[in-house]
Amino acid sequence: MIQKKICILGAAGVGKTSLTAQFVYSKFSEKYMSTMGVKIDKKMLDIDGIQVNLMIWDIHGEEKFKKITTSYLRGAAGMITVIDGTRPETIQTAHEILTRVHTDIGNIPNIFLLNKHDLTDAWDISEQNMAELQKYNNPIYTTSAKTGEHVEQSFHALAQLLIS
Amino acid sequence: MNHLPTTLFQYLANHSIQQLEPAWLKLEKHSDIIIDMGGTWQHYSPKIPQTGQSATTIFDVLLGMLPIHESFELPQVQLKNEQYTDIFAIQDNGCDWLLFCDVTQNTLQLQQYQQVSNDLILLKAQMKQTLHRYIGHEVVARIEQGEMLLDAAGERKNISTLFVDIRGFTPFNERHDAQIVMQTLNDYMNCMLPPIMQHHGMIDKIMGDGVMAVFGVLPSQHHSSLDALQTAKQMIQAVHQLNQQRLNQGLEQLGIGVGIASGEAVLGVLGSHERRTFTAIGRHVNLAARLESNARVGEILIDEATHQALAKPISFTPVTLTLKGIGQTDIFSQTLPCTSNQGKL
Repeated sequence: MIQKKICILGAAGVGKTSLTAQFVYSKFSEKYMSTMGVKIDKKMLDIDGIQVNLMIWDIHGEEKFKKITTSYLRGAAGMITVIDGTRPETIQTAHEILTRVHTDIGNIPNIFLLNKHDLTDAWDISEQNMAELQKYNNPIYTTSAKTGEHVEQSFHALAQLLIS
Repeated sequence: MNHLPTTLFQYLANHSIQQLEPAWLKLEKHSDIIIDMGGTWQHYSPKIPQTGQSATTIFDVLLGMLPIHESFELPQVQLKNEQYTDIFAIQDNGCDWLLFCDVTQNTLQLQQYQQVSNDLILLKAQMKQTLHRYIGHEVVARIEQGEMLLDAAGERKNISTLFVDIRGFTPFNERHDAQIVMQTLNDYMNCMLPPIMQHHGMIDKIMGDGVMAVFGVLPSQHHSSLDALQTAKQMIQAVHQLNQQRLNQGLEQLGIGVGIASGEAVLGVLGSHERRTFTAIGRHVNLAARLESNARVGEILIDEATHQALAKPISFTPVTLTLKGIGQTDIFSQTLPCTSNQGKL
């Protein structure tokens, strides 16, 4: 069995906790509760016959006056950067986080999740936004913590990246 | 701190430490093996650490963090539900330390403020998106920068106003299910709205199958009349393409007619205290509406002011029409292909 720590990062309210809850407990709540500090969950995955115990660090949202402490990322094997597909401005926050992570921790495997894809009418991601993200050469998934769309697949894809 | 008498310092220190319910581990230097421990461990873990054990096996939160290469802090770690702990990793001479402090009370208080702040961020984003959809990104940006006022008194400007509407939509509406009508309308709106944005127009209102747009409010390199005319041509071209697709799918074609007039208008907020809308008011606005209602499928009707501002293009033919509420008016007409010959209304 392999233990891997991954961190979920992104602006406040993008759905980090909801994605984790959907992945770990198959649950979704409409009620928004902002995360303080960090909450840690675990889930065992079978990746090509290898048991991977994923330790998921659900870290509070990045804000103008409350930056994420990069000490949370110590020992992380990978990370998930979450963007709210209805708020393109959260892409800028993702850029800022990644810049800080690259400076403080270095390059670790990352995937982008464009979350809230169930909100089709409010969806506001342009081709230009996508092009900006594609520059990182990291996998990008559109997800919905509400419907579960691509949630399991994206976490599995990251775990796969970590053991390959 | 020098001015604080020892008794008071001691009192404050004890008081603070008591609240934090600290627990600590002394680790072998450059290792995660526990060599000593103390404090209220039952507060932090069901497993009480023992000397000789690996700290990582008890607290998997420390996975990948030990041995301690440099001191660090992990604030507000939720070890149990609704219980928050600050973890300090401290380097020392000959050993390392891990200090756990309970910060639940403080964190839960901060959580209340955080919640309100995050709710406001989400609400603001939602409101901004709604505003963008109703009056466009450029208008919102100008309002935010103070370049434009949403003022009931209004602002006088020379603008061009465009009205467009689907010909024969009322009978189409009567013949089809509301859901098909809605889908058809959305398809046509996708032809009519993007050209307005592209040519720096502002959508004033959408009225069923009709749209009113104003040009000259947002900055543009061209005269408002030229932007309005280019928009009209692009709309007809887009509808023509849509009609070809609909024809191939065996669906009915719909045509549009456009009216454009130019002149002075007052731009401002109209409505009651509870419900308001941003709009343009002026004589030429009514004229543009009348021109649109007289335009046939694929026809663009423009008033004399627009024709003059466009330097009298020869592609337009002069026409005299009697317009309801206005009377006999000299206008100009141009017709572009909008529907194919088969299957139109």
